[in-house]
Amino acid sequence: MLQTSSTAAAPVRRRGISYAKYGYLFCLPFVVAFAIFSLYPIIYTASISFSDLKGMGTAQYNYLPDLFGNFKSLLGNNVFLTSLQTTVILWIFNFIPQIGLALILTAWFTNTTLKVRAQGAFKILLFLPNIITAGTIAVLFYSFFGYPVGPINTILQQLKIIDAPIEFLRSPAVSRGIISFIQFWMWYGNTMIVLVAGVMGINPTLFEAAAIDGADNVQTFFKITLPCLRTILLYTLVTSMIGGLQMFDIPKLFNDGKPNNMTQTVSVYIFKQAFTGSFQYNRAAAASMIMFVIIAVLAAMLFYIMRDRDEALANKAKKLAKKAEKGGAKK
Amino acid sequence: MKRNVKMLALILAVTMCIGLFLTACSTGTPAASTPPAPADNSGDTATTAPANDTTKADDAANAPASDVEASDVKVINLWSFTDEVPGMVEAFKAKYNPSYEIKTTIIATDNGGYTSALDAALAGGGADAPDIFVTEGAFMKKYAASDYSIPLKDLGIDIAAETKAAGIAQYTIDAASDENGVVKGLGYQATGGAFIYRRSVAKEYLGSDDPATVYAAIKDWDTYLETARMIKEKSGGKAVIVSGLGDVWHPMENSRSGQWIQNGKLVLDENIMKYFELSKALKQEGLMNGTTDWQEAWFADIAGTGAADILGFYGPAWFINYVIKSNCGGSAPGEGTYGDWGVCEPTVPFYWGGSWLMANKDTKAKKEVADFIRWVTLSTEADSGMANWVKSGDTVASSVIMAGAGEYGKLDVCGGQNVFDAFIPANQAVDVSMMGPYDETINNLFREEVAAYAEGSKDLETAIQDFKDQVANVIDVDIS
Repeated sequence: MLQTSSTAAAPVRRRGISYAKYGYLFCLPFVVAFAIFSLYPIIYTASISFSDLKGMGTAQYNYLPDLFGNFKSLLGNNVFLTSLQTTVILWIFNFIPQIGLALILTAWFTNTTLKVRAQGAFKILLFLPNIITAGTIAVLFYSFFGYPVGPINTILQQLKIIDAPIEFLRSPAVSRGIISFIQFWMWYGNTMIVLVAGVMGINPTLFEAAAIDGADNVQTFFKITLPCLRTILLYTLVTSMIGGLQMFDIPKLFNDGKPNNMTQTVSVYIFKQAFTGSFQYNRAAAASMIMFVIIAVLAAMLFYIMRDRDEALANKAKKLAKKAEKGGAKK
Repeated sequence: MKRNVKMLALILAVTMCIGLFLTACSTGTPAASTPPAPADNSGDTATTAPANDTTKADDAANAPASDVEASDVKVINLWSFTDEVPGMVEAFKAKYNPSYEIKTTIIATDNGGYTSALDAALAGGGADAPDIFVTEGAFMKKYAASDYSIPLKDLGIDIAAETKAAGIAQYTIDAASDENGVVKGLGYQATGGAFIYRRSVAKEYLGSDDPATVYAAIKDWDTYLETARMIKEKSGGKAVIVSGLGDVWHPMENSRSGQWIQNGKLVLDENIMKYFELSKALKQEGLMNGTTDWQEAWFADIAGTGAADILGFYGPAWFINYVIKSNCGGSAPGEGTYGDWGVCEPTVPFYWGGSWLMANKDTKAKKEVADFIRWVTLSTEADSGMANWVKSGDTVASSVIMAGAGEYGKLDVCGGQNVFDAFIPANQAVDVSMMGPYDETINNLFREEVAAYAEGSKDLETAIQDFKDQVANVIDVDIS
């Protein structure tokens, strides 16, 4: 479809074929699917979080007289607050070892002086845990720590480290440690691959310059690699945080929040509110909205902290210049 | 090279499409069937909304409809979570040679898989919706209270007369009634429980393996605890009374004198409070092996290879046939614990598990469905569903059939004892008036608090308060 030329007074437009509509057409399926299956449910969830919808099979609901009633009761609810705390603890103990080990491995794999052989094989092996479904591993670990008879108990007894079986799964510390370990073990390979890819994108001349200036491995890593990896690290941090704060499958399948709700994350709490007992959809929706706000705020904070300061300053300068120009022109 | 890449891309795209088609086209094909799944309270998440106070089936409310005619439906859909009822279909077809076909769908109950699929199928309606569906003790109350199940009187079944004629155990009728006493389901199994003990252990520490002697040692919970201490002391720790806390839970569960929720309030009566003390004593004094049911160590205790020998388990007839028989470490007297078991009256009457048949209210084949349900759960003829079932040594709901099936009760695995002698009165004694719709959720929370109390990490007041808070968190109930 050719664009017709405009009036004679204006400059002649370049004739060209506009492919814009094809772009929109290609986007359309996704937008429609997203609107129906993601956007509408999100809006509906937000809407019932202000209502009294509960009970299986009902769809009628009324808005509460006190609109924020559900939110207030949740924020004063011990179990919900404990689950928030548990979620954060589980995530921190998973993320720190994960990023630490991933960075160390990245440093080793991208070090040109350290000739690591069979790198491909290593990367495959390290990435393998990520392919197994989390549910399977959770159930596996649950049976590992079986009491009074289970693989771990049997091994420890045979090695004479303990003389009576220990009920591991009734200890909150051990249960949380296991869940954090499962998360860490599954994801450190993935994080490492992403970071290695990030390092590959750094201009090698930087490394050469550093080598010439006499920087050793540690200095190169902290002064060149890490700063250049800033965007990738931000990506890893944000995705890990979102995934970690929404952790559901591992705690649910491992021991369903036991012992004593000490491994109950917010997602497991929401599940129990919505799909067991009185089927209190309104409270579950309110809890989901609270999580949404928390994650959005944290992500925004992260983006702000990890922003490219030079770019931000340049943008600011540009804005000031534009303002000055406008102000000057008006006069 | 370009052509190869194009070929590869095409092959991959076609493979993906085939994969999509396969998943979309599969219609509830039978998943791995498990042995009659007992009501494993920790697995399922199905409960109902309305408060339910079970009354005995009201005769007037169950007067049969008189206008049920045969339809010309060609296919009847039967949904089940094990292959028990589908297995009965062949015998039904052989006897009646019906003009319609019975299509079966089997989905295991693991992780609530059966209930979610069943809910979706019932709500979806249409030709693929189940006409008959089997429900298990754990989630049966939900479907009894739901509008999807048809009152059986509307199928032309005269509940009062037919159940009386067959001598159906009253609790199976009460359990499957909704809050107005309208009967929605009938069961073919009777799962009243007894105390199943090891004869050798009883002989050594109780003096004799006679059922009356064993019952005297466990006749109430206080005596049970005394016996537990006595066994531990006498055996020097080589024998204990029970495998794990889960084994005393099933009889305890039904020992409440009323429902958990009465008039909107959570009620902890003194009977269920006994579970706190009993659990603590069993754990702290080392009177049990600390196993969790359905796990390796628990099965080892059945085979007699656990840390200490166990006096006995609480269970219904299916426990002997499906759990002990396959896990006792042998198949002939002398091997493992085969032949070393005996049955006596339990400390309190209880029931565990069971299967009930219910029908879809939208079924178009009312008479055909009624025929099938009648044949499985009410008929006392020589080759009816229950008559065939009792031959496997399991107890059925009809006392008429049980009375005439004495020979099948003599089980080798119990040293030739006729177990029906214990199970028939057990089935009659079960009382389900304390069952309620939220039982599953509340029971799980309760067991968790008791476990914490038993291991000493909480004191009694904290445990009770935490239990109340937990229940109030998930269920709309007054906990003052």
